[in-house]
Amino acid sequence: MTVQGIVLLVLFVAVLVVFGFIVRMLIRTLKLGKPEDRSGNIGQRINSVLVYVAAQARVLSQPAGLGHFLIFWGFIFITLGTIEHIVGMIVPGVSYTAVFGPVVAGVISWFQDILAFLVLLAIIVSLFRRFVLKPVRLKIDDPGARQEALFILTLISALVLLMFGIKGAGILMGKVDPAYAPVSSFVAGLLQGRGLDLHMFENVLAWTHHLIVFFFLLYVPYSKHIHILGAIPNIYLRNLGPAGTLSRMDFEDESAEKFGNSEIRDFTWKQLLDLYACTECGRCQAACPAYLTEKPLSPFNMIHRMRAHLMDERGKLLKGQDGEKGETGAEGVEGTPIIPETMTTDEIWACTTCGACMQECPPFIEHVQKIVDLRRYLVMTESNFPQEMQAVFRNMEVNYNPWSIGFSTRADWAEGMDVPIASEKKEFDVLFWTGCAGSFDARGQSVMKAVVELFGKADVDFAILGVEEMCCGETARRMGNEYLAQTLIDGNIDVLKKYSFKKIVTACPHCFNTFKVEYPQFGFEAEVMHHSEFLLDLLEEGRLKAGKIESTRGTYHDSCYLGRYNDILDQPRSILNQVSGVEITEMGRSGKRSFCCGAGGGRMWMEEDIGRRINEERVSETTKLGVDTIFAACPYCITMFEDGLKAGEIENVRVRDIAEVLLESID
Amino acid sequence: MKIIVLLKRVPDTEAKILINQDGNGIREDGVKFIINTYDEYGIEEGLRLKEKVGGDSKVTAVCAGPEESTEVIRTALAMGVDDAVHICDPALAKPSPFTIAEVLAKAISEEGFDIIFCGKQGIDDDMAQTQSILAEKLDIPQVNNATVFELADDLSKAVLNRRIEGGDEKVEASLPVIISCEKGLNDPRYASLPGIMKAKKKEIRVKNLADLGFNEAPSSGRSRVLKWLPMPKGGECKMVEAEETVDAVKELARLLREEAKVV
Amino acid sequence: MGKDVLVFGEIRNGELKKVVKELIAAAAVITGETGGAVDAVLVGAGAEKEASGISGYGLRKIAVVDDDAVADYSSEGYAAVLASLVGEEGYGYVLMGATSMGRDLGPRAAARVDGVMFSDCVEVRIDGGALVARRPVYSGKLFVELTPEGDGPVFISIRPNNIAPAGESGGSSEIAAKPSGVDRAAIRAIVSEIIPLAGGRPDVTEADVIVSGGRAMKEESNFRMLEKLADLFGGAVGASRAAVDAGYAEQPIQVGQTGKVVNPKLYIACGISGAIQHLAGMRTSKVIVAINKDASAPIFEKAHYGIVGDLFEVVPILTEELEKMLQ
Repeated sequence: MTVQGIVLLVLFVAVLVVFGFIVRMLIRTLKLGKPEDRSGNIGQRINSVLVYVAAQARVLSQPAGLGHFLIFWGFIFITLGTIEHIVGMIVPGVSYTAVFGPVVAGVISWFQDILAFLVLLAIIVSLFRRFVLKPVRLKIDDPGARQEALFILTLISALVLLMFGIKGAGILMGKVDPAYAPVSSFVAGLLQGRGLDLHMFENVLAWTHHLIVFFFLLYVPYSKHIHILGAIPNIYLRNLGPAGTLSRMDFEDESAEKFGNSEIRDFTWKQLLDLYACTECGRCQAACPAYLTEKPLSPFNMIHRMRAHLMDERGKLLKGQDGEKGETGAEGVEGTPIIPETMTTDEIWACTTCGACMQECPPFIEHVQKIVDLRRYLVMTESNFPQEMQAVFRNMEVNYNPWSIGFSTRADWAEGMDVPIASEKKEFDVLFWTGCAGSFDARGQSVMKAVVELFGKADVDFAILGVEEMCCGETARRMGNEYLAQTLIDGNIDVLKKYSFKKIVTACPHCFNTFKVEYPQFGFEAEVMHHSEFLLDLLEEGRLKAGKIESTRGTYHDSCYLGRYNDILDQPRSILNQVSGVEITEMGRSGKRSFCCGAGGGRMWMEEDIGRRINEERVSETTKLGVDTIFAACPYCITMFEDGLKAGEIENVRVRDIAEVLLESID
Repeated sequence: MKIIVLLKRVPDTEAKILINQDGNGIREDGVKFIINTYDEYGIEEGLRLKEKVGGDSKVTAVCAGPEESTEVIRTALAMGVDDAVHICDPALAKPSPFTIAEVLAKAISEEGFDIIFCGKQGIDDDMAQTQSILAEKLDIPQVNNATVFELADDLSKAVLNRRIEGGDEKVEASLPVIISCEKGLNDPRYASLPGIMKAKKKEIRVKNLADLGFNEAPSSGRSRVLKWLPMPKGGECKMVEAEETVDAVKELARLLREEAKVV
Repeated sequence: MGKDVLVFGEIRNGELKKVVKELIAAAAVITGETGGAVDAVLVGAGAEKEASGISGYGLRKIAVVDDDAVADYSSEGYAAVLASLVGEEGYGYVLMGATSMGRDLGPRAAARVDGVMFSDCVEVRIDGGALVARRPVYSGKLFVELTPEGDGPVFISIRPNNIAPAGESGGSSEIAAKPSGVDRAAIRAIVSEIIPLAGGRPDVTEADVIVSGGRAMKEESNFRMLEKLADLFGGAVGASRAAVDAGYAEQPIQVGQTGKVVNPKLYIACGISGAIQHLAGMRTSKVIVAINKDASAPIFEKAHYGIVGDLFEVVPILTEELEKMLQ
């Protein structure tokens, strides 16, 4: 072993030890968070890693993702080369050729060369995008974040260039087989005949390269490239259940002084791991309806700032921890509140919980739960929320609907329609859940009437709960009032358990999602169908036969809680396709990438006085298509569209629920 | 400072109010009960006063009403009221404002008081009398329909605005005083969940007439309901039509005056 | 119980309230059965001047009480005046307007003389020798008819504009000044000032009459038209969210789910379609009038009176007609 080898070994080991301590600190930081169970489903989890890490499936869902794909795989091969080189410098004679034979080594070398070259190209494109094109998704207020991105890209470029230099020199010295190193061979050609001391040249480049690598290793955990450490475990540990489920809170402890999250330790360890996983790709913000309409919220910025906050806080919080036992004993240390320094209330309330951010996020960060956790604290512990929400909560408490309309009038819409009531019928096939909008809003009522008429034509054995029905709790839950939500949920479950039925059908995606994926948390499981699924079944069973309507050119808007959260994309379209006369043109943002109407997450009942209106934004997307009808399958979406059309004084476009169209075609 | 807030359990404003089968009251089945909305302004003002004055100030809720009133008392406790007295006695079913005021006067005197807040009227019988009768029984000044309330720094007097037709009267009243609250005085708070949890453990002292030293319900100011009558009103919108708009509008104006009696 | 009736002649700003003539008419209904006489008492600054205005309206005598202690209204001072009159004259009934003064004074005075009180009555009559008062309850969802028990004097406040006012019946009433007997220093709640409403219009949440405009108002300046109508009643102007969004009106007057929740006696919706967001804020109004071009607008389902027509035509005519009525 040479002196140089010994120095490198000592340095390498030291770097690894320090890196080990950093990783341990990162893990201890995670343990500051609350427990959360993400065990089990190992097969599925490994599969996630293969699809979303190895194959970079989400990264590649956008063209720019190709750059990351190349950098990711390029770096794996470059790192293989780096390891080989470092070990070779420490123990002369050790190389992949020596260990695996020339073919394997050659293949590794070839990939290294080709990928490293592509990495360089990718970096040039990245720099061009970041500093010239400036796409929406890379916008961030923090100038540090931009400098860091530039710094990292520079380092990566340096490493790649150094590698080519080292390999080029290696070729000239006969250490590297030029047959497996096309790019390096080119570099070797440039170096040839310049009178360089090749050995010295390679050595200087190698030391520079390795020192950068060591620096990188120690720098990464403190930069956005922490995602190299965080993303893979985060993808492995991703939420395999439905994305539209919020965590259930326990209100058993009556002495509790605090509900919801105000500081970083209130989040679970997995939520903190999310902060490590963020790649700052900004795809979330480019899909976020709040961000795109000039509201202060950006899911990107939120994660960025929460991570910075976590880094600021952890020193203080870990101090109280018993290092030896690794216990989180930071009791007594005050955590800094996240609001208002790290996040503002305007940001927290801007979210429509549409889930577009989570849909886009390559490392599967779960943004919505964090926002709701912060809302929970504001609402339940501090009673601090936009003033208009108080009436909504009070109305739900007293009259079980957001509008303060007497609960005893809930079934009035059905008067004169011969709609069976559960309390009289007791046993039936379908419980038709009308929901608040369907029960009280004149527009929603007309959709309910259409569904009921279709049920009549198909001879469906159904009933409604009538005055026994209460708000399903969805809005209260997403507004952060988990206590109220659970009161409503428990109340509804008590009523539902009195009757015997096969399935719940609802025309509201919000009720639908809540019954399908959230009621099971409270011990109530039933088959739940959205009316688009159920009506399609009726059509396929031949119990209904779609007819013809006057020729109409329309577009279909996917409701977030139907399409994105529950994958119901084809059913409503299939119904529309069966109605002759309907021609559908798709919007650019459709399907799972649909753009929210602006009503979710309780926004329906809140003023939207910052930035542009989300509904108007979406309406302008539809009008660009030159359609005469916007088809929807959600009462909130319908309201938002109709309001948006009125605001834009657009009089020749109608908004119709799929049930209304189907009924018209049959009549 | 000893602050009393009065509350009453009343049917929700949205409740369907129907006459019961015996024709001697309303049907209570299917009716949701709440804290009288105007009383909430009183609770809020009481709590704000306590927060402002500090020290050993205490807010006590006093409620006369049936057993079920516990629920609305707990709501007040959840908002932050310290403790409560619940006057509950079968002899107090369907009491007149005079009876209630006399009973309240006794209970409030036992508690001690510097300032009393209540709603300007109960939204059930809409009498708007109890607070003024109570003022007379306690021999203290009254300020009804307060829209602004401030306490002088030396805590000796209150400066208020009281809503009258077309404006406000600015009133100065020495303490102790009873203040009935009008909409606009404040925005009542939404009880926090820790508040709701704590309210479950706060004390509600239940007192019957005997506990307050009455042998029977006070008989002053008695009256009797002879009859309950439904409001004569068709559910349908009356569409005013005429060949000429002018005539339709004239007819509308006439209807507003003679039928709706709002002009 | 006495059979004579005392009418409280409320004076505001030195002028007798219009309701007093309505009270005199109501009193006549009572004395028509009991055979008693109707007297009046006027208290405060302007009492003497105003007394002559109702002399000859069938009143037997009018007591005028105007000294320093009662120049301005106070519940304590005025209650003392009423109590002493009732004590001296043995009135069986005391009538007052269901105004902010009547509602404040009545119960206190009734308590002082161990009487009973019925507030906010819309009708009084004598039935089988007993007084029957009809009044709305549960925010006007029902009426009750009440009758007093016991011998105490009966105080009744009567809603203005419910009973046709008494007319002159010839002759004149005996007007007699009377000391208040009130010690000003003993009054503990004193009115120091009367503050007229800022801008002359009440807040939408407090107004008895609201005239609201929607997007169909077309521009901000058209709201002047609604203000003119609202001012006839001392009412407020409201707006739908759409009108606020369009910049025609300010957010503080927005009525609806995310704006103000209002409950006036009269709500006139001009060019408002009646989306649930708006209805949630005003549907409990006692009388709703809808003016809209679109006969199928949902507002008509909640309104009590509707006119299908152009608001720019309807509102000015309505303003003119109502102005004539109110004069």
